[in-house]
Amino acid sequence: MLGRWIRFLLAIALGAAGGVAIGWLRAPAPSADQRAAQLRIDYQSDVVLMIAEAYAADQNLAAAIGRLAFLHRSQPAEIIQQAINFGERYGYSDSDLQKMRALLNAVESLTPLVGTGVP
Amino acid sequence: MNERRGSLYLLTGLLLGMAIGLVYSLYLEPVQYTDLAPDLLAAADKDQYRALIAVAYLANGDLVRARARLALLKDADPYNALAAQAQRWLAEGKAADEARALGLLAADLAQAQATLLAPTAATPAGLSPSPPAAVAPSPAGSIATPSPAETLASPQPTPSAQKPFVLRKREAICDPALGKGLIIVYVWDAQGNELPGVEIIVNWEGGEDRFFTGLKPDLGLGYADFAMQAEVVYSLRIASGGEPVFNLSAPPCTAANGEAFPGVWILEFVQ
Repeated sequence: MLGRWIRFLLAIALGAAGGVAIGWLRAPAPSADQRAAQLRIDYQSDVVLMIAEAYAADQNLAAAIGRLAFLHRSQPAEIIQQAINFGERYGYSDSDLQKMRALLNAVESLTPLVGTGVP
Repeated sequence: MNERRGSLYLLTGLLLGMAIGLVYSLYLEPVQYTDLAPDLLAAADKDQYRALIAVAYLANGDLVRARARLALLKDADPYNALAAQAQRWLAEGKAADEARALGLLAADLAQAQATLLAPTAATPAGLSPSPPAAVAPSPAGSIATPSPAETLASPQPTPSAQKPFVLRKREAICDPALGKGLIIVYVWDAQGNELPGVEIIVNWEGGEDRFFTGLKPDLGLGYADFAMQAEVVYSLRIASGGEPVFNLSAPPCTAANGEAFPGVWILEFVQ
């Protein structure tokens, strides 16, 4: 009788291992929110740079903040600062860093108005 | 009887365990994706990423950098991906600035590629311009910041900045093979090169729409078309200037079998 229980528990353990393997290895696609927010740091920095480049040309801060929402961060200034830090560490050109700093300054100047309610 | 019971309880245990394992792996501890590359983004986010590349290109004019960024998305055909998205967003009235940027980047990519492959472009003849070669993504050496100094092909300036466009040909054609109820526009520069990225404005009573040349590369870089509604009269002009074309409505045509169908207008502009 004890042998049956042991075999039963072993079967459960085996099934559980199989279920976990299926769930983790054949997981459904993550949501769009997860994916944009989970870009690697260098790609996120390049996204910030793209937004900074556009902002440098059109000076449209509302559009820039709307675009930063792509990265799903509650604080846009935080992700810009992170991108600047990354750029400084990995040799972005001065003009690129300048554009990102200009965007950061503009966003920070709005912070009291924007608060945490970033779109 | 005892043997069969033995097999069944093992199977029950296996299924029970699998259910527990699935609940754990899918709901309690699901896979967390981190450090994704852009090509793994969901389709909607890829669109957004592509739009960001386009607006950045519109701002910096750096086609090499735009190409390197597009390569990260690993689209099979970056040009068509851009053009299709531009058309889709224009049709949906979604983010007009981004849609325009996408169209211009697509057009500039195609033109740069055509320039690289054929520096002396042939003068177009007839209504069937040759399709451009597919745009091959350049290898992205640096994923984060391609150097702005690497300039292989500078982006094309807006082609109409200097001279206005002149209507060279206006013709109504009844040929179902060309399409039904379309305004087909071809735009060339003074040297006879097809011009992509030329914005065209079409107006009708109570409405206006804009479209671009070069979004259907298989029909030519200087090609654009617009679908007319029945019994609506349109006027059309190149956005950057030039003579407008008035009184455009679907030409009434009759097929060989006696069936009526709307014809097409062919308009050819030369700078």
